Amino acid sequence: MKNKNEYKDMWVFIEHDGKQILPVSLELCCETRKLCDAAGEKLAAVVVGELPQSEIGKVLDCGVEKLIRVSGTGYAFPNIDAYTHLFTVLCRKYEPSAVMVGGTVFGRDFAPRFACRLPTGCTSDATELVYDSKTGDIEFVEPAVGGKMMAVITVPVMRPQVGTIRPGTFKYAPSGRREWVEIQARVDFPEEKIRTRILGFQADDLDESLNITGAEVIICVGNGLKGADALPRYRELAALMGGKLACTRPVFDRGILPFKLVIGQSGVVVKPKLYIGFGISGAVNHITGISDSDRVVAVNSDPDAPIFNYCDYGIVGDMNAVCEAMIEALKEKQKQ
Amino acid sequence: MLNILVCVKQVPDVNLVKMDPFTGSLIRAGVPAILNPHDAYALEAAVQTKERYGGTVTCVTMGPDQAVEALRECLAAGADRAVLLSDRAFANADTLATSYVIATAAKLLGSFDLIFCGKESLDGATGQMASQLAERFDASQLSCVSLIEKLDGEKKTVLALRELEKGTETCEAQLPCLMTVEKTNYHPRIPNLKSWKASRTAEIEKYSAQTIPGLDPEQIGDPGSPTKVPRTYPPVVGAKGMMIDEGSAAKNAAKLLALVSDIL
Repeated sequence: MKNKNEYKDMWVFIEHDGKQILPVSLELCCETRKLCDAAGEKLAAVVVGELPQSEIGKVLDCGVEKLIRVSGTGYAFPNIDAYTHLFTVLCRKYEPSAVMVGGTVFGRDFAPRFACRLPTGCTSDATELVYDSKTGDIEFVEPAVGGKMMAVITVPVMRPQVGTIRPGTFKYAPSGRREWVEIQARVDFPEEKIRTRILGFQADDLDESLNITGAEVIICVGNGLKGADALPRYRELAALMGGKLACTRPVFDRGILPFKLVIGQSGVVVKPKLYIGFGISGAVNHITGISDSDRVVAVNSDPDAPIFNYCDYGIVGDMNAVCEAMIEALKEKQKQ
Repeated sequence: MLNILVCVKQVPDVNLVKMDPFTGSLIRAGVPAILNPHDAYALEAAVQTKERYGGTVTCVTMGPDQAVEALRECLAAGADRAVLLSDRAFANADTLATSYVIATAAKLLGSFDLIFCGKESLDGATGQMASQLAERFDASQLSCVSLIEKLDGEKKTVLALRELEKGTETCEAQLPCLMTVEKTNYHPRIPNLKSWKASRTAEIEKYSAQTIPGLDPEQIGDPGSPTKVPRTYPPVVGAKGMMIDEGSAAKNAAKLLALVSDIL
């Protein structure tokens, strides 16, 4: 194997549906741009298939210096076989130092697989990326062991360093265009070798209550919740405040609320104006998903709950009692 | 006859793990080890598939000797055969090295039509094992499966529903196929007393690095793991927020609403 210093350029896989780029791909372009600046490397974006020029423009706005446009057979729909083959071929040919992939279902399916085939190291769900100039490695920092600690993961010998990153982890803040070149790459994958076939797709009903990403007020319940019976008051409070109900991972694991309402590292990242957490201890996995909230309020019966160290206002007390008192107060205010 | 493999892991119940505030290391002593919850769904899907189409379910895990407990749980819940891969040389493996050991050992156990695993572990939680195992087995790969609709023995395909970000996909995959399943339709069964008792004394096959032929020592354990964890540290804790303590829930609520009135 070559010396790792000979691998150059950091890549971002641009996931799209032919019309639009997924926000996570642009978020990764912006964050990887900073790593490239620190490392003195070039930022490259890998676009497979056709995409409107206006969308390509969004990629370039993030300061991409190399646009790798891939054409060929096998990419008509997202499939692990063709994309694993493609990234194996591209990485061997162009030898990038890093490949960042959005932590979507598809990204998490194919990125570890091509990393295994190359082979190289793959990390997932980093919440912070740091370039270490001493070692020349990227530090993938992530909450570990249920958020009890932070772990720094590196790929010290092999290249590329592959990482899948969850949507919403990093900000979309384009740093502006730079000089860029386009590279055309044709890689064909025989369609008959694709081992999966999509036979149908039923889009979920657009249930707005399940779309918490853009909510301005969020009422979030944690493991302190006794059970589904205790939920209605929190729904009522959310409705009174013009907000939405959400939960932590354990509440989903207990089967009380759907996964779409889970905030945190393995769920949704939210940026509301006001977040109120009831009965939430404050594991880092959850805090990761709320740290961009304008204001955070925590209600917990345990005065030592870690969440009080992440909130603007805290109330020590019974979660149900505080919730009901808030409902009372809000109803009173409405009457006036 | 279907040959089904389920890859499982024994994990510490992370909700009970505490961190030593002085050393920054994890206190695992006294923390119960459990079968990874997602693996229990995978096992349930495997056992249901066996019950519908016939065949055998083999469970395999890589871990210390104590991991036999997780395997006994699997046997109690419907697995036919359990295999432990245990060796000090396997320690400190990342997903690449772990998938290598499991796939190499699996060659001794037979040729599998379906491979199941949990979508992530409670402790490592990388969610990468499924993809890397699928690669090692040269299998097709279906993640997020909510329902296995049909297996076609002649065409050698499986038809399944997948729960994706924006909806449900119907997908057909060629065998061998590796699947991760959602809990939706695969709630783990509670073993009855008879099967639980039988699992206590059932035979667990064991393999070490020496007894898996052709295992490359460079690809296992620490040497075979391209990802490293150079350091860990306690999460950065912010300053304590302003505590509201007005004496009663009603007064606290009123004070809080006043404080956030500019937003509402």
